[in-house]
Amino acid sequence: MKSILGKNLGNYRTSYRADMALLNSRNKKIGMVILLLVIFLLPMFASNYFIGLMTLCIISSIGAIGLNILTGFTGQISIGVGAFLGVGGYASAILTTSMGYSFWIALPLAGIITAIIGGLFGIPSLRLKGLYLAIATLAAQFVILFIIRRWVSLTNGTSGMVLQRPTIGDFALSSNTSYYYLSAIAFLLSAFYAINLVRSRTGRAFFAVRDRDMAAQIMGINLFKYKVMAFAISSFFIGIAGSLLAHYTMIVSPEFYEINVSIQYLAMILIGGLGSVFGSILGAFFITLLPVVLNIIVGSLSGILTDLSHILSAFEEFVFGAVIILFLIFEPGGLAHMWSNTVNYFKKWPFSY
Amino acid sequence: MDFFLQILVTGIVVGSIYGLVALGFVLIYRSSDVLNLANGEFVLIGGYVCLTIMTASNLPFIVALLITLVISVLLGFSVERLVIRPLKNAPVISIIMATIGLASLLGGLVHMVWGHRTRTFPQVFPSEPIHFGGLIITPVYLWSFITVLVLLVTFTLFFKFSKMGIAMRAVADDAKAAMSMGISVKNVLAVTWAIAAVVAAIGGTLLGMINGVGPIMATIGLTVLPVVILGGLDSIGGAIIGGFLIGIIQNLAGGYLDPMVGGGLKEVVPFIIVLLILLLKPYGLFGKGGAERV
Amino acid sequence: MKSKKFLSLIIGLVVLVFMAACGDDADGSGGSGDDQEVTIGTLADITGATGDTGTPYSEGQDHFFEYLESTGGIDGLDITHLSEDYAYEISDAQRIYQQYRDRDGVSAILGWGTGDTEALRQQVASDQIPFMSASYSENLKDLDESPYNFFVAASYSDQGRMVLEWIKDNHEGGDPTVALLYNDTGFGRSPIDDIKDYAEEIGVEIVDEQIIDLAATDAQSQLLNMEEHDPDYGIIQQTWAATTTILRDADTLDIDTQFIGLNQAVGEGLIDQAGDLSEGFMGVLTHALPYEDVPGMDEYIEYLDSQDMTVDDINMQHVAGWVVAKVMVEGVKNAADSTDGEITGEDVLAGLEAIEDLDLGGLAAPVTFTDELHAGTEEIRLGIVEDGQWKAITDYDSYR
Repeated sequence: MKSILGKNLGNYRTSYRADMALLNSRNKKIGMVILLLVIFLLPMFASNYFIGLMTLCIISSIGAIGLNILTGFTGQISIGVGAFLGVGGYASAILTTSMGYSFWIALPLAGIITAIIGGLFGIPSLRLKGLYLAIATLAAQFVILFIIRRWVSLTNGTSGMVLQRPTIGDFALSSNTSYYYLSAIAFLLSAFYAINLVRSRTGRAFFAVRDRDMAAQIMGINLFKYKVMAFAISSFFIGIAGSLLAHYTMIVSPEFYEINVSIQYLAMILIGGLGSVFGSILGAFFITLLPVVLNIIVGSLSGILTDLSHILSAFEEFVFGAVIILFLIFEPGGLAHMWSNTVNYFKKWPFSY
Repeated sequence: MDFFLQILVTGIVVGSIYGLVALGFVLIYRSSDVLNLANGEFVLIGGYVCLTIMTASNLPFIVALLITLVISVLLGFSVERLVIRPLKNAPVISIIMATIGLASLLGGLVHMVWGHRTRTFPQVFPSEPIHFGGLIITPVYLWSFITVLVLLVTFTLFFKFSKMGIAMRAVADDAKAAMSMGISVKNVLAVTWAIAAVVAAIGGTLLGMINGVGPIMATIGLTVLPVVILGGLDSIGGAIIGGFLIGIIQNLAGGYLDPMVGGGLKEVVPFIIVLLILLLKPYGLFGKGGAERV
Repeated sequence: MKSKKFLSLIIGLVVLVFMAACGDDADGSGGSGDDQEVTIGTLADITGATGDTGTPYSEGQDHFFEYLESTGGIDGLDITHLSEDYAYEISDAQRIYQQYRDRDGVSAILGWGTGDTEALRQQVASDQIPFMSASYSENLKDLDESPYNFFVAASYSDQGRMVLEWIKDNHEGGDPTVALLYNDTGFGRSPIDDIKDYAEEIGVEIVDEQIIDLAATDAQSQLLNMEEHDPDYGIIQQTWAATTTILRDADTLDIDTQFIGLNQAVGEGLIDQAGDLSEGFMGVLTHALPYEDVPGMDEYIEYLDSQDMTVDDINMQHVAGWVVAKVMVEGVKNAADSTDGEITGEDVLAGLEAIEDLDLGGLAAPVTFTDELHAGTEEIRLGIVEDGQWKAITDYDSYR
């Protein structure tokens, strides 16, 4: 059956191959092409400022995808993302600045190093669940930062380390646009990997662990292996995001990776949608742009309420908290769920109910 | 002056504040399995409200404190009604996140109302330190120590003998069974939150007298997490003993280990203890073994 | 259905972002007349961890720019001043910085603490935007590492050296012993190595170091350890909160060490917080106190009068903010003199480096920048709290 708009309303796939296909309809293919075009042509239309913002959003998206693999896919809560971003950033700084490797080697290595450390901190997850795991990761946050502060010979302690923008030949990616492209490519690869992960055996094992670990174990899923793996894969992406961010700001210091960063990332995946790659991206954009929007709103109100701009940050904090709570109560599926609801509504229109 | 004894005493009195704040965590966790990460903000609001009442109206301290406690009851009720109740069937992560969101919301609110400045309490307790033999204690700390002991006894009696206390224990044990016995779980939870807010406000007032009331005070919420993990999330006695233990260990580490590693260990030691406790005895020293494990 | 309303609210917000974010690249060259235009952005901490000192500092800057405007501004120069609160959050600082650089096209930035200064120092260098902050960290003096960072007062290290010098000159009876009390952050550790080196150089003995957290509520174990070495002096590199804790616990434990704070530990706020405990506490004064009768205060008072305020409404941090804005405007003036076109960050850099012995009328030590030195001065005064008020006990002086 087709809707008035000419879309298929049922499932007409005739082979497993078609069922598993990533872009399983013509519309999705067109959508993908348009999305890629938008991503790559954006710098031609948008202002420099907007590109800078987008870069921040995209880098956060990579981290949010990573966290979502752990928390959304596998159900292991982590309040230690901030510290793992730090591990990625510092790994990259040490590799490039102290040891003289090129960025292109340091970036994947930073991911791998973070994955190893993340995996190590994932080991307790075999014994701990839910709340207790959350607190363990919170403790990890403090302990890792303490080590970064104290291992002065390696990390230069509290004064932080300086990094350079990556270069291709003689060309340094020092402009907003060039770094945007770099981040965009990393972002697309991450998103593609994560979407594929969902369809794979590993992804399904993650979901099984999340939904009922006991049952998963009975079905022959090695809990220890998959939990540690989830920590490692997730940390890999967070490490990549940390490395990209470090080379973007060209500096790392322990103050970049405090607990509030961890909370922001958690908020991203919750507001975006747990267990959804698309949701992680939406959430990352939402949380990164929230202060910008509030700023504009407050700015436009400043004629009426002159004192508001003075408490803007407090207001931001307030709204940040309120948004989290409202989402949890009214739309636990997050932005991703809202999006699919909206899409379905139009797809089935006028037969939707 | 004996170095060890002075450190021990300092640990105990500081630990009493930890225990007091930890009590707020435990009360809520016991009855609703929620870890209230906004506890630090409850403490902060309590401190600010009491201070504002005292400076604005010149009421005696006890009256101001009582008014603060009434306001805290309202705060507890409304948080439970507006945030916690709608999420009663939500997964753990949602509830953790909701309390984090709540922390941010309340923190922002406090900033908007009271601004950024650290304010000091009018003198309530004498500032002259008390000498016990060679040992020295600041009166505020002594009072917080006494308060903790009083609260410990009160809550023990409350949970043993009062109808509400028994209902709370029933709900903590098994909410469904309690409900079928005619206990209004809703009301019990609301009262729990109110009591937790009251305890936090007392903590905030005492803490405010020690260091002044400023936004930085809310960090106590995270500082005492190790206390509840050590003591066991569902044990009231555990919270208080855990408070003392963490206070003592922290100060011993500060006194004996800090000079060796170049300082700074005092703040991290509690979190190292958390990692150890979670690995070795996840439900804490006095918890009932209810920790979720595979 | 309630979630539908929620949905439309979210969609509305998203639309708003895109409307606002698209296509407002600031070049704004459509200004009035032939005035050269220049925009200066402030990164303030009003609601963050250091808001208690950050707020008056940023207000002082606002005051100066408002005063400048009320007196008709500077001929041929149209200065726009923007200010935003980053709440001591690095991610916010980054975002606001990008906004200043890409959207508002600022030529210089007035920053605040160690957090934002350190986070942005590489970027301001590559974007060539002078960045003047209240983070007086010695390592910012290294122009190879941070060629675009400026500060107007003596660095924490220079302050510490001067304090040591004063101890050496004024200590009576035997060789003085000193302990250092600081926190485990970039800010706290910044002067420590330099102080230790200088102490060795002039022969003052550093007997102990203690780390006390910025948010510490007790410092007894540290102070007890310090007391084992019984130092004559304790140099404090902290903010008001931790300094108060130190003074209180030292009082509790009957420790008779004379504490001396570097500039972040000093100010009226400390007296508010520590009360009687602050009596006899010494500290570094980098700027004038509002109630001091110095010529530079006249224009400040003139401004305050116009706002129905008095010197009682402001404190030393206001003065510091006022001074930093004044120095920045001086640099912009020089830049405007040297070029007829658009004033870029590089022009402002050159303009600032042209400042020589700028007399601030006693509001602070005279400021000089060169292309080799971006720390405005090495001179400080020492003060002491007497009868609930800071009093200067030395004149502006450097350790050299």
